[in-house]
Amino acid sequence: MDTLILFSLVLGFLFVGVPVGLSLGLSSILYVAIFTNESLSSIAISLFGVGTHYTLLAIPFFILASSFMSTGGVAKRLIRFAIAAVGHFRGGLAMASVLACMMFAALSGSSPATVVAIGTIAIAGMRQVGYSKDFAAGIIANAGTLGILIPPSIVMVVYAASVDVSVGRMFLAGVIPGILAGLMLMGAIYVVARYKNLPAQPWAGFGELFAGAKDAFWGLFLIVIIMGGIYGGVFTPTEAAAAAAVYAAFVALFIYRDMGPFKDEPWVLETDSQESVTGFKASVYGVTFLLVALILSFFALSDVEGITLTIRFQWSCIASIALMLCYLCWRGQTTSPLRMAWLVGSGLKIWSRNLCLMMRGFFPAIGGHETKQVILDATKTTIMLMFIIANALLFAHTLAAERIPQTITEWMLSAGFNWFTFLIAVNILLLLGGQFMEPSGLLLIVAPVVFPIAMELGIDPIHLGIIMVVNMEIGMITPPIGLNLFVTSGITGMSLARVVKAAAPFVAVLFVFLIIVTYVPWLSTWLPTLVMGPEIVTK
Amino acid sequence: MAGYTPHLLLLGLVIALFVWEHFFPKAVDKFEDNLLITLMMLLTLVSFGQVVARYFFNTGWSAALEFTMVIFSWLILVGMSYGIKHGTHLGVDILVKAAPKPVAKWLAIFGASTGLIYGLILLDAAWLQMIGIDTRSGAINYWSKMYKVNIGTEELRWPVFIQETFGVKDRVQRWLVLIILPVSLALLSFRSLQAMVQIYKGERNMVIAGHEAEDLVNENKDVLKDV
Repeated sequence: MDTLILFSLVLGFLFVGVPVGLSLGLSSILYVAIFTNESLSSIAISLFGVGTHYTLLAIPFFILASSFMSTGGVAKRLIRFAIAAVGHFRGGLAMASVLACMMFAALSGSSPATVVAIGTIAIAGMRQVGYSKDFAAGIIANAGTLGILIPPSIVMVVYAASVDVSVGRMFLAGVIPGILAGLMLMGAIYVVARYKNLPAQPWAGFGELFAGAKDAFWGLFLIVIIMGGIYGGVFTPTEAAAAAAVYAAFVALFIYRDMGPFKDEPWVLETDSQESVTGFKASVYGVTFLLVALILSFFALSDVEGITLTIRFQWSCIASIALMLCYLCWRGQTTSPLRMAWLVGSGLKIWSRNLCLMMRGFFPAIGGHETKQVILDATKTTIMLMFIIANALLFAHTLAAERIPQTITEWMLSAGFNWFTFLIAVNILLLLGGQFMEPSGLLLIVAPVVFPIAMELGIDPIHLGIIMVVNMEIGMITPPIGLNLFVTSGITGMSLARVVKAAAPFVAVLFVFLIIVTYVPWLSTWLPTLVMGPEIVTK
Repeated sequence: MAGYTPHLLLLGLVIALFVWEHFFPKAVDKFEDNLLITLMMLLTLVSFGQVVARYFFNTGWSAALEFTMVIFSWLILVGMSYGIKHGTHLGVDILVKAAPKPVAKWLAIFGASTGLIYGLILLDAAWLQMIGIDTRSGAINYWSKMYKVNIGTEELRWPVFIQETFGVKDRVQRWLVLIILPVSLALLSFRSLQAMVQIYKGERNMVIAGHEAEDLVNENKDVLKDV
């Protein structure tokens, strides 16, 4: 009876427009005050204690990295690369949009940001070559949901924190399902494209593919830092996220220069001579290779004895100088060492100009108005999310203190649920909940209830997490409250009903995907087990 | 009456904020924004600095972890009232939007009032006894205890020059770190009350945001309408 009151308080509050965090928090507080002897001091202090959840500390950093990555040209660069890669298939532009969404999702982890950043460019592009607006909008709305499945993903961090599994495993578990979902969407597009006779882009050649990859490299390297850092055993996920946030700010401000004081200052001016540009590029490749080699070897060899920084540095230097020489032979069309040295020397002119510029502009860039705005936006998102998480933890704590999950477990087991039927029930519960609640909040409420039952039935905790995430994805594109539907409808000016209809065929694809993910645990568990060894499940 | 000093101090703080905001609303906005930005930057830079120090120089600040966690808690707690003020807390708005205007208005006022109740209960639940609910204590109570016993945090230490000038103990007092808890709850109550008044006067529609990307969508509203 008490339990019923608790749940109806939460739902009642939710639907009359009380903020989600307050609905959860106030219901728990009232419950504790009225039905238990627990002191409210301990509730208040647990509010302060949310900040001491080390895993959750990764969330503000991921949000910050995502904000810096969403500031400008990253989306454009990814789309260029994606078109060069898959644009030549029938329906290629739509497939490229999906691919671009997947990559952007990996960088930003935010679905609405993905829809806006990729959507504004890709939908316009698709319209130009003759796709219908509905088709284009439907694809973007669906592909944008991949953000929470493809690592790094905030929702996964929340799940990992709430049921105490490894964030690293969750991230790895998302890789294969994420790629599979992308491929299924592309497959569906290909079928539609054949049927509707949609156009293909001309094959732009490996040159364009390489140029696109080069351009997108600095952005995509963020994923390498996060994933490499975690799986190299170098960083904890929280540390990796902090490094990623600083890296993203650095790339946005100083390398891509999409924002800040260098916005209109290209690296190479038109007045620079051909020779100095060649020399400059050669040294850029050299330096970039050196940095990448150092970072990668750091991740890969951190636990190998006897390999010191000096050794790695020496080998990386040798390799990067060799690379420079090759480039100079090829582009500078010379083999004489003197001429090569001269080319590199004249390239230093461009280097010094840029370095001076960056030094002078360093503090304006860090403390500038635009940077502050990006940080403030990220902070607002963090606050919004953490308020819900803090109160959801309070709610989960109340549930646990009253042994409510255990009661539900006993009931479910006595009702004869096995893992197969149980997963159907979980899916339905989450799909319904996902209609009304924000993913992290819903996850924090459902996970503590569902998790013990799943363990009892022998379901893998990582697999359960992926099922939950995929359900959240579908919740984002199904009415009445589908975040991506709102966003797509907002930017395209189409009515919500029209977006729902446009998205529907691809939602069906995602439903099939959900069923596959639910009943093929191998998809989620194979990669984490391969990389990190078999997990130890403690009941 | 002595037991109520913290309550009165908090009330004084809220009144001071009210007066300050009444005369210089822009300054308060700016102050809040800058406070949050500073906390976020501190959080990031200390964490990142720690990564660099630990992995590349084999050194580090032993209190870094506790420091970042305290900052993170402060960020979350300060953010509660900020979210109410700027209407960024998520909520379900279908029913409120579908309801007739006067009903919607009262629902919105109720929505804001929950923030007030939440804040007041957690500050000091003793007032619930007046309506017959037997409970007590809360954030103020806990904080006062900490103030009285005056224990330090685990790792955080004052820099030497502060120790010498003010003659304080070397470890940062726990009550100082925890002071944000009653303060932020008082601010949350204040902002919720303010929101109630604003909604009543018709200056504001709701206290919640329907979804997390409202700003983002408004910035890009209808950019693709004519393509």
